[in-house]
Amino acid sequence: MKIAQTLFRGGLVAYTGLFFAFIYIPLVVIAVYSFNSNPVNMMTWTGFTTEWYAQVLGFKTTVSENALYIESTGQLLQAVWNSLVIATSTTLIATVFGTAIAIGLYRFDFLGQRFYRVIMFMPMLMPDIVLGIALLIFFVNSGIHLGLTTIIIGQCTFLISYVFIVVSARLAGMDRTLENASADLGADEWTTFRRVVLPQLLPGIVGGALLAFIISMDDLVITYFIAGVDVTTLPMFIFAMLRRGIKPEINAIAVMMLTFSFVVASLGLYLRSRQK
Amino acid sequence: MSIASRRRVQLAVLLGPVSLFLAVFFLGPLAIMMVTSFLAPGLYGGVEWTFYPHNFGRILGFADPMFEDFDPVYIAIFIRSVKIAALTVLAALLVCYPAAFCIARLSERWKNFCLFLITLPFFTSLIVRLFVWVLILRQTGLVNEMLMSTGMIARPLDLIYTDGAIILGMVYVFIPFMFMPVYASVEKLDWTLVRASLDLGAGPIRTFWRIILPLTAPGIIGGAIIVFIPALGNFVVPAVLGGAKVMMLGNLIEQQFLAARNWPFGSALAMLVMSVMLVLLLVYVFASSRRGADAALNR
Repeated sequence: MKIAQTLFRGGLVAYTGLFFAFIYIPLVVIAVYSFNSNPVNMMTWTGFTTEWYAQVLGFKTTVSENALYIESTGQLLQAVWNSLVIATSTTLIATVFGTAIAIGLYRFDFLGQRFYRVIMFMPMLMPDIVLGIALLIFFVNSGIHLGLTTIIIGQCTFLISYVFIVVSARLAGMDRTLENASADLGADEWTTFRRVVLPQLLPGIVGGALLAFIISMDDLVITYFIAGVDVTTLPMFIFAMLRRGIKPEINAIAVMMLTFSFVVASLGLYLRSRQK
Repeated sequence: MSIASRRRVQLAVLLGPVSLFLAVFFLGPLAIMMVTSFLAPGLYGGVEWTFYPHNFGRILGFADPMFEDFDPVYIAIFIRSVKIAALTVLAALLVCYPAAFCIARLSERWKNFCLFLITLPFFTSLIVRLFVWVLILRQTGLVNEMLMSTGMIARPLDLIYTDGAIILGMVYVFIPFMFMPVYASVEKLDWTLVRASLDLGAGPIRTFWRIILPLTAPGIIGGAIIVFIPALGNFVVPAVLGGAKVMMLGNLIEQQFLAARNWPFGSALAMLVMSVMLVLLLVYVFASSRRGADAALNR
């Protein structure tokens, strides 16, 4: 019995090791092979190079122009810029709206409050393709030109929910006695909100905003349907490249994106754990 | 101003603008999609404002008899999609469930670190994570190169552009969705009940089926639902890893909107995906509230 138990424990630990290997080994593999100099077969190692990174970033390279090419560094930079503009705008709007709803539902009791809460979960659970085409039909019918504006509006519909949930979680864990103390000591409602509630709420708001920013930067499906013909975002750019055929440059872009989001997410999660 | 009316003003300021925004840009589009799914497709891609129930009929194979014969291709795609989504749920559960037990018994510090490692990929680009699997699975990908160079196979295997590749890609992408709810209920598991069951003579297998599985069922069901919903209508994973051979509901919907330009039929398909989601959620809410009631009665 003892032996069986030890074996079982060992098996479980080994399984969990495999579990993490499954998640991370693919990511490590592409990070390594993004420095492979083989231009035709990316998975056969022929030597170390930083050529693909240089090419993506628009530096002069030794690779001949016609052999391989990135679609155009200009297009890529435009896509990155579009994504940043969209993510910044949606984060601002979604954070204000999401926080307002969270506070409203927490502070006040009113008819239909439960219904409101359920409605707030809907945009998150809605399959993104359904929301994407619903928005497409809506925008086309109402004559709004598809572009940056429609992307920002469309993404906000579900990002508000994410901010709402993060801020609500923070509100639920808040100490209400401090508010009462502030009121007892003569502060008016606005002062109490600004000096007592807001500082306590801030980590939740920042966390929600960070989440909204990352999800906005990564959104492909909804953006894909409502982007129209003029605007391309970073995920759409990569998706289009993947559909046309794979080149080593995509690998370099992928690794840069992975590094960027790992750093941002680690920082965010670290800050959150510090504040607890 | 009285306190009551002041609070009403505050509430209106807090909720008014957002409610308006969501009513117009969330509920509005869904309502219009619903209406569109009952309209006739126009000849050149638009819609005609006549009541036309055949969009839904077409999914089941009974299309407008004026234009089409009985054609069960769409119901076949629907069944395929359900099958692939269900297999994804099953595979994700098999991947996450044992790991959840191991991680739940670690010390606080390691536990948090492991949870961090599992949530981290969620914050990285979905398309990048899928691209990785293209590099690994394709004809000249990592797996085939390695097997060929060791001489185990003579010609590359067909790994990519298969149902298996789609399931693998979806499992990889949805791991955090499955792991978190499963882990939450595994961590809450009362081990004294397990010990009691073993002490009273039940074997490990029986204890698992009668004690551990029922107690962790809420997490399993929750994880299954939030993986199944995005898996059913997914179009990115099949587009990247499934190639042109394998059609799923998501690709069919995309095609109706961006290629075939039959918006009413595409809307009807989207309504189907949405109603599956609503049914699953209702079942879940109903089941969990009944379980809550049972627990309350037993107390």
